[in-house]
Amino acid sequence: MSLGYPTDGGHTRRHFFGKSAYGLGIAALARLMGEEVPSGGLAEVPHFAPKAKRVVYLFQSGAPSQIDLFDHKPQLERLRGQDLPDSVRRGQRLTAMTASQTTFPIAPSMFRFQQHGESGTWISELLPHTARIADRLCVLRSVHTEAINHDPAVTFFQTGAQLAGRPSIGAWISYGLGSENRDLPGFVVMVSSGTGRNGQPLYDRLWGSGFLPTRYQGVKFRSNGDPVLFLSDPDGIDRNARRRFLDDLGQLNQFKYNDFGDPEILTRISQYEMAFRMQASVPELTDLSTEPDSAFALYGPDSRKPGTFAANCLLARRLLERDVRFVQLFHRGWDQHTDLPVQIRKQSADTDQASAALVTDLAQRGLLDDTLVVWGGEFGRTVYSQGKLTADNYGRDHHPRCFSMWLAGAGIKAGTVVGETDDFSYNITKDPVHVHDLHATVLHMLGIDHEKLTFKYQGRHFRLTDVHGKLVRKAMA
Amino acid sequence: MQISKLVGFIAIGSCAAGVASGAAAVRFNRDIRPIFSENCFACHGPDASKRMTALRLDIEDGAHVPLSGDQVALVPGDPAASELYARISTEDRNRRMPPAAFGHDRLSAREIELIRLWIEQGAEWQGHWAFQRPERPDVPLDRYPGWPTNPVDSFILRKLRAERLEPSASASRETLIRRVSLDLTGVPPTLAEVDSFIADMSPDAYESVVDRLLSSPGYAERMAIRWLDAARYADTNGYQTDAARDMWRWRDWVIDAFAANKPFDEFTIEQIAGDMLPDAKPSQIVATGFNRNHRGNGEGGIVDAEYAVEYVVDRIDTTATVWLGLTLGCARCHDHKYDPVTQTEYYELFAYFNNIPERGKAFKYGNSPPFIKAPTRDQEQRLAELDAELASLVEQRDALLGSGASNQVQWEARLADRRSDWVDPMDIALAFPPGATGPDPAEHDFDESGFAELGDKADFSFYDRFSATAWIRPQDPNGAIISKTGHVAGEDNTQSNPGWGFYLVDGRLQVNLVNRWLDDCLRIESLDPIPLGDWIHVGFTYDGTRLASGLRIYVNGQSVELNVIRDEMNQEIKSKEPLRVGRGLGLEYSGRIRRLLLYERALTAGEIEVLAVDRSLDEIARIPAAERSSSEARKLQEAYLNTLGPAAVTRLTATIRNLRRDRQGYLDNVPTVMVMQEMEPRRRTYRLDRGAYDAPAEEVFPGLPAALSARDPDSRLEFARWLVSADNPLTARVTANRVWQMLWGTGVVRTVEDFGAQGEWPTHPDLLDWLAVEFMDSGWDMKALLKTIVMSSAYRQSSRTRPALLERDPQNRLFARGPRLRLPAESVRDLSLAVSGLLVNAVGGRSVMPYQPEGLWSELAGGKDYPVGSGADLYRRSLYTFWKRAVPPPSMILFDSAGREACTVRSVRTNTPLQALNRMNDASYLEASLALALRTLQEAGEDWDERLRHLFRLVTSRHPTGREIEVLTSGFGHHRDRFRNDPQAASALLGLGREPTERDISNPEMAALAIMASLVLNLDETITRE
Repeated sequence: MSLGYPTDGGHTRRHFFGKSAYGLGIAALARLMGEEVPSGGLAEVPHFAPKAKRVVYLFQSGAPSQIDLFDHKPQLERLRGQDLPDSVRRGQRLTAMTASQTTFPIAPSMFRFQQHGESGTWISELLPHTARIADRLCVLRSVHTEAINHDPAVTFFQTGAQLAGRPSIGAWISYGLGSENRDLPGFVVMVSSGTGRNGQPLYDRLWGSGFLPTRYQGVKFRSNGDPVLFLSDPDGIDRNARRRFLDDLGQLNQFKYNDFGDPEILTRISQYEMAFRMQASVPELTDLSTEPDSAFALYGPDSRKPGTFAANCLLARRLLERDVRFVQLFHRGWDQHTDLPVQIRKQSADTDQASAALVTDLAQRGLLDDTLVVWGGEFGRTVYSQGKLTADNYGRDHHPRCFSMWLAGAGIKAGTVVGETDDFSYNITKDPVHVHDLHATVLHMLGIDHEKLTFKYQGRHFRLTDVHGKLVRKAMA
Repeated sequence: MQISKLVGFIAIGSCAAGVASGAAAVRFNRDIRPIFSENCFACHGPDASKRMTALRLDIEDGAHVPLSGDQVALVPGDPAASELYARISTEDRNRRMPPAAFGHDRLSAREIELIRLWIEQGAEWQGHWAFQRPERPDVPLDRYPGWPTNPVDSFILRKLRAERLEPSASASRETLIRRVSLDLTGVPPTLAEVDSFIADMSPDAYESVVDRLLSSPGYAERMAIRWLDAARYADTNGYQTDAARDMWRWRDWVIDAFAANKPFDEFTIEQIAGDMLPDAKPSQIVATGFNRNHRGNGEGGIVDAEYAVEYVVDRIDTTATVWLGLTLGCARCHDHKYDPVTQTEYYELFAYFNNIPERGKAFKYGNSPPFIKAPTRDQEQRLAELDAELASLVEQRDALLGSGASNQVQWEARLADRRSDWVDPMDIALAFPPGATGPDPAEHDFDESGFAELGDKADFSFYDRFSATAWIRPQDPNGAIISKTGHVAGEDNTQSNPGWGFYLVDGRLQVNLVNRWLDDCLRIESLDPIPLGDWIHVGFTYDGTRLASGLRIYVNGQSVELNVIRDEMNQEIKSKEPLRVGRGLGLEYSGRIRRLLLYERALTAGEIEVLAVDRSLDEIARIPAAERSSSEARKLQEAYLNTLGPAAVTRLTATIRNLRRDRQGYLDNVPTVMVMQEMEPRRRTYRLDRGAYDAPAEEVFPGLPAALSARDPDSRLEFARWLVSADNPLTARVTANRVWQMLWGTGVVRTVEDFGAQGEWPTHPDLLDWLAVEFMDSGWDMKALLKTIVMSSAYRQSSRTRPALLERDPQNRLFARGPRLRLPAESVRDLSLAVSGLLVNAVGGRSVMPYQPEGLWSELAGGKDYPVGSGADLYRRSLYTFWKRAVPPPSMILFDSAGREACTVRSVRTNTPLQALNRMNDASYLEASLALALRTLQEAGEDWDERLRHLFRLVTSRHPTGREIEVLTSGFGHHRDRFRNDPQAASALLGLGREPTERDISNPEMAALAIMASLVLNLDETITRE
């Protein structure tokens, strides 16, 4: 049996389907195989014209303090040290770390806030670079979540559920939209730690595919060793040798295919070819030596140090330029239960310039128009001090009821603030934005109706937003 | 064209036009229920809260309730008079069901036509198929050359006939032995095994191979892997810090059970409720580790009650998926939308698994209670030896004491004249003030001399056992007796301020072991205050369990009632602060202390009693024996046995005590395993509103959903017995189906995890029922079930596809060809180790750490990186690889292994570039390539052609074809020439790998052969069982 499969190995499954002796259309045969369309992604997605082609999500792991960064509460100074009134707490559950604290002294932020840009967005002195792009941002001051501890809260942001097991948002997007770049994965993750302490651990499952096929999981780009696991050929096998290896391998696999007719063999051949291309494209991508000095100046001196948040931001821009669909950075270290003033300074210094630089850089390259940028952590922090409140020191415990994030770029109403909180940054008083709402909005920007992107598993049609999710209209242009 | 044509609707056309009147009978369960379930149950199904009318389509009575306006949903035989048909077929969007207003699409023409036909044919209802007990079906009589070998074939053949398809020819012997070896043991056959099978012309040649495989250790390991996936087995706790736990003794129990072919009913009962069996053996208790494999959250600050609920939920979800093939999770928050399980019934199941003494806040490190010691066979033996040795020594000493050779009475008489005292010297870490162990110990007056700082001593871990006792005469109700922690008041520390100490707080004795004062510590207090101004003997002991129950406080030699203030120890207490007497945690001691003793072990109550004896030895000796208190008598006796008696006695005592200490040390290293345990009285279970831990509603009691059983087993044990009783329609089917999936890649019911209304209809219901009944009738004999399937002609078919067949049945749901499947992740690696000769076959033991790229652990969590093992640890089968949930082994995850976060039973296979990179460049595979090349050189002759053939055959179990050998030869030549020109490249390649071998690392042929080895290992065929 011959299906006329060419031996140059550069052909994909799509190619096979197109030429198939069986005369079936690609989609039809793909459906027969119980799969998505071969380019990746679902035939019916996008559901409508997308605003964004790609997303970069700067996850601030550990939970940044909204009170010290974005949610300005000048009136708190008068109440310094006073016990947080019960009328504000309203029985809100606390973590067991402070639940048995005898007093809950109000700790106003030590940091100066100013209004920035034409929008007059309040931003603290900790984020001078972010302040400069205020007019590009939509600050969400009223995000809230249900989880009160890191693991469930990060898992909630990543998967729409507190307990592990569901697909991550990037996996959902890859599943729905497929990949735009045939040499790179559609969902890339990078992690970094700063100069502060209190780094909460991360988990591979945070970018996993849950019950979706494994191919949709995020690929972690690493700063040490191979940027992608097992990317480098061993010593003694150079590029030509690898090419010859793959030619011979493809030939033998082809024989097998000719004999057995299992299309899976053709997929295998094409995946080896993609691996070969990645061996070239990934090092080229991660090699920052071609970047001009002006780029490093923009992102800050850390961007020359591999593995820093700044270097990852610069890499993120290179990934986005190559149409990698979903890029997610995780920066650890925001969990400031004590010594917050010292720690948050370091943490802000590690992240502020590069976050702003990425937005600016994307804008300069015309990529911001169709790239959505998301910045934020897994919950907020309490207005009351964890531990002793002194003139120059305090700590803050976890606070899920309100916290701040920002969005920028494709489809976002720039220079706006959504939501309000009470005088204590404790409760939301206007326009709450739930995690599910944020998810719905991110998907919407990509042309996906969050209620329609489903996967049947265990008898249920699962979706990222479960049975919830409302678009954050006020954030949308 | 619809896929369902090929699987579900063979007898019926694929589109409306094809569903002509008079076509084959429509069957409710197969054809109609799935349509109702998918489209109607949400509002007309089991969930009472979502039903807007009385109409239900999940039960027959519900479908016949009168509707408004005298209408009825169903008029059997008359679609036109049936409102249901009218509403699904109307063009009026406002009237049409399912309602467009709720975003539903209309039913497809085919679905509408099926419903019409069904009504026309009498609208006959069937209970959901999977809830009817399986009956042994008649075996069809169809024949085909070489078919049937057994009834499995007959059922498959009948369906193929109906489809006008023919089975495929038998696979070649080489293919067959490789297939069945990989399926039953997870590793390929050796060449000797292949050759012997090919040469064996006897009619039972294949059967003997099957029997050999089923009795090999590899069989049990292979079966265990999928069970570990289902049981969400892992070596770490899964949340936040994701520290190690020890469940491998349970894993080894599973391997042993498969090896012994433990009947599946016993296998079930022991894992669900082995602890409740009468006279439960230790191994039966170990078995219950099954339901303790769920993740445990030790993150600081979590709400205990929240996770206590999650663990029970995990147990129900896992148990229901594995045995019942039901996804009950939906019923946690509301009545199930598709299956007949109410929310109340969910919590009745919950009650079976809610009665164990566990906490929502798990230990951050290691196993969380309840757990037991689970010695290996060797360890059991060693402990028995130690016990026998101890018994014999004690006997010797008793004999010596009874023989009159030593006369304690005379000794006492001598004592009476001379000032002397005795304290047990064993394991004393500190005696304060100096000379405290001798007679007339000095007093330390703290008001005069202040506190004492004693340096970096007694830096105990929370795993250590330790004790302190002292005579104290306090003047103030608050003060630190002894502490190793900072001198800052506890309340002022919300962050880590580790240490331990023994204090007076408001007149009460307090012991605390602290990491964080508020939420990470043990703090206990005597219920009653002690008197001030008088000498009093006080002490505490700690047993290293990290639990408040491991702490005791003694006053005057007696254990006193305690108040547990905090029982949440999770992180270390080791402290950089000095050991201090009289100060700590902001408390200063006022008054006097004498004979303060710190022991590096947990003193027994008897030992404390002796230490609390105020009288010195001579004073006691002067009291007539009959008038001494029992503790005084005991003090004398202990002094005599330990220190002051005849050398023969004290030597024996020392030997006994040292041996006891050795035994304790040995036991401390014996692994534990988390197990199930019942509490008395039973913990109450409530229905939880919306499934929320903090919203208990009415109390519920253990019970089964009414749709599954008329009676309610009253305990977890009875529940386990019901699972494998003839009354349960599901377990045998679900298990047989999973076994089928293991061999064919897809179950007879594709949704192996869901046999409910939303699950897929079985492609061969009779086959499944026959297997299920056969399985039960065989006494739940797993090996027999596997043997039946692999002996069938169907299993032995070639996996070659035929174009017509690929189009008709791309997923091979009709079994008209052998399944061609990529190997599971574990086999992908194990195969490479096996064919290269690196595989170390040893069954069981602690999990091992084979190669993994550096930095994978530390880059996500900071701290310690993955400690790569060495020696044999690098080459064990993959089921022994240490499974860290937060960072699972990449070569497993890349090949679609289950994540082990939650129960996984459905197998998934993807095909990705990352797999290609892994196979080409992972250190494991490079080393295997080198070893394979070396092995080839050793085994094959001098001829390179022969060597390449041998190499190919070692990996694929077959001879290469002419074209294949041409490619290999040409490739080999190419790489050899390259290495000749570039010897450095050859030595770089051959220098890889950790294990020293005798390879000549500058040999270009050897290097080229290693590349060809890697190439053959990377073939699609290699990681596929054809």
